[in-house]
Amino acid sequence: MGSISDVLKKSIVFKSLEVTDLQGLIPLFERWELHTGDVITTAGETAQYFFIVERGTLLLAMDQGRSVVLSASGDFIAMELLSARGIYKATTTALENGVVFAVPRGAFLAFIQEDTPGAAAIMDAWQDYLDQRAGFVKIIEDIDVPAIF
Amino acid sequence: MYGIEAINANNGWAISVVGITIVFSGLVVLALVISQLHKFLDLYENPRKIKNWFSRGKENDTPLETSAVIMVLTEEQKEIAKQFALLVRTMEDHFSLPRLLNLARISGVKNFHSNLNILLKSAIIFPDKEGYFCWDQDLYIKTISY
Repeated sequence: MGSISDVLKKSIVFKSLEVTDLQGLIPLFERWELHTGDVITTAGETAQYFFIVERGTLLLAMDQGRSVVLSASGDFIAMELLSARGIYKATTTALENGVVFAVPRGAFLAFIQEDTPGAAAIMDAWQDYLDQRAGFVKIIEDIDVPAIF
Repeated sequence: MYGIEAINANNGWAISVVGITIVFSGLVVLALVISQLHKFLDLYENPRKIKNWFSRGKENDTPLETSAVIMVLTEEQKEIAKQFALLVRTMEDHFSLPRLLNLARISGVKNFHSNLNILLKSAIIFPDKEGYFCWDQDLYIKTISY
């Protein structure tokens, strides 16, 4: 069983964070076990959590039939990928048994809105990650307004 | 001795050709440096990108959704792959994965979530990077006849 700190160290988005930033972030995450077919977010519902994958495959079904499949340990399911203005815009389904760590959306957005090097590093890395995993969802140019997610 | 005569007598033509070549080469180098300057400035502003160059190799070792290796399927999985192949034939070349999943559900495909996952892991179904997915017919044929 992997710990959240192991998963964060593997994540493109979080691996460049300093220990002090990680210490502030780690307590926010809670471990969820997923079973094949589980739906963890439904498009149109209030966005409560963002997720980081420990293991398993997740299908994010978006509008216009578009979708993203994420399966690498450390893949982060959040912001442009998952929500807009506090509402989930993707339905996330587990295609196999797995584990994710859930972080409350509000707490995470508060963390990245702090004027800290850690918050800036997350937002920079997030753009790189999005380019690699799902460049087509990059519709928002102004990354300084995380509250819109 | 003046004019062309003096130029000829003192290697003037050779000197001017060398001079023109030096100036022209200098301008070409200057133009190349200026055209790439934004990349150096970008690295100066975001030094983390330099670190990413070295870590990217490691990330690429982890397959995301594609694999060049043919996955060995059980006979049951092959039969279900054939059912998915039939469903995909009714769709566009670049199809919606959630729609395929829904079609599999209403068509009564057994364990449609996990079997779709097998097709993704075997790279028979692969992303087109625009949010849609494609079917690799060659890989499908190789996989079911393996």
